[in-house]
Amino acid sequence: MEHAAVRCAAVSKRFRIYEQRATSLRETFIRILLRKQALLTRPYFALSDIDFSVRQGEAVALIGTNGSGKSTILRVIAGIYPPSGGAVQLSGRLAAVLELGAGFHPDLTGTENVAIYGAALGLTRREIRARFDDILDFADIGEFIGTPVKYYSSGMVARLAFAVAICVEPDILLLDEVLSVGDETFRDRCIERLRLFHQRGGTMLLVSHDLETVREMCTRAIWMSQGGVRMDGEVNEVADAYLALA
Amino acid sequence: MIGAQMIGSLRSVYRYRELLWALVLRNLKVKYQSSLLGFFWTMLNPILTASVLIVVFTNVVKIQIPNYWAFLMSGYFAWNFMAQCLNAATYTLGEHGPLARSIAFPQEVLIISTTISRLIEFTVELLLTMIVLAVALHGRVPPSYAAVPLLVVLQFILCLGLQLPVAALSVFFKDVQHALPIAIATLFYVSPVFYAADFVPDWMHEVYLLNPIARLLTLYHETIYKGMLPSVEEWGAAAAFSLLTFLVTYSIFNRYKHLFAEVL
Repeated sequence: MEHAAVRCAAVSKRFRIYEQRATSLRETFIRILLRKQALLTRPYFALSDIDFSVRQGEAVALIGTNGSGKSTILRVIAGIYPPSGGAVQLSGRLAAVLELGAGFHPDLTGTENVAIYGAALGLTRREIRARFDDILDFADIGEFIGTPVKYYSSGMVARLAFAVAICVEPDILLLDEVLSVGDETFRDRCIERLRLFHQRGGTMLLVSHDLETVREMCTRAIWMSQGGVRMDGEVNEVADAYLALA
Repeated sequence: MIGAQMIGSLRSVYRYRELLWALVLRNLKVKYQSSLLGFFWTMLNPILTASVLIVVFTNVVKIQIPNYWAFLMSGYFAWNFMAQCLNAATYTLGEHGPLARSIAFPQEVLIISTTISRLIEFTVELLLTMIVLAVALHGRVPPSYAAVPLLVVLQFILCLGLQLPVAALSVFFKDVQHALPIAIATLFYVSPVFYAADFVPDWMHEVYLLNPIARLLTLYHETIYKGMLPSVEEWGAAAAFSLLTFLVTYSIFNRYKHLFAEVL
């Protein structure tokens, strides 16, 4: 059996919804004084009992309606949200593009953001420098690399974010709706690059509403619904079933 | 068990040292790139405040300390370092929220990086003070100057120890941003910044020295202004206070840091 790159075992995630965020200090006092859960927050299960594993080299799509837990499970896998129950096991270095901007600081230039982002992923300065030309080349934002990111168009931000994530050569790549941001040319180049990544044995987990891309890129799809796995199987089967219901 | 946890956390910070340096560099760059006079502004604020304090407390409220200017300078910059770090702690994690929501990394690195970049500026201020005092007050380099680096290390540890809980609380409660300036203003008066710790009446002294900043500032006054080496007890107490504060607050921080990404 092939080695699992990502394994989620009975992962669940509970959030507390703050109905009035600004009063949280007051709420804490109430809770301490009354020794009970104040009425201002209610728990919300974003994920319940998620079980799946992704083999090394597999390309898996997560599909489902908004709020079905796709982005949350990516964040739990990336180690950003601790799971409320269950466990996630990873083998290999992980890079993620989880939201537009991918953690870029708006006041810093592209170069500075690349340095910080790369370092946060665990790369050394030398490794970042070695990959810098590749990143610049792929992002194709020219001299804007020396400009603060806040002056970038959303397409430029997405390109740079994607370029960094793919060029750090992770073993596992998580992408959340990245391909829908750029234009056609960028999308095609991304797909080409992802294919290369896939051929080299990289593991990929991507969230997308664009079923065409999903069918093109992935061999397997997981359909998520209301924080659980509704269907898990061959990409076309799952996509067809999903379309039939939508 | 807590010890093992602590070592694990410190080790993970060390693993992210490249990120630490990248952040320190960018902190300094952001500060000095956008303003023409750069370092001048950083120096101007504390120098201006220190000058006003010197003028007021030598001419208006006459504080009986010989060479008051030298006394004030020997402790003021250390106080300023502390106050600025505490202030920065209220927004550092929020500022880097997008990064924390995209990549998992030990978030104390963010705090440490702001402290180190401030420390670099403070070191320059302190060196200038020491040179001025050596020339204009002591007429020589007092041997007690050799102990100043140790003092700075202790202050750095204490500074982190006070920043960590402030930063963690700021993530959950916006109130901290409003409360902290009041706390700093109060600390300014209950710490020996513009007066000497000996002025405090004996009966208050024990309570007064529970403020860890007070102990450190007293040590600055002794080594830099008086040119005397503090006693071993004074060093021991200051070191114990700094380390203990750091260890306690860091373990609290570690307990809550995994929740930051959800709230930020």
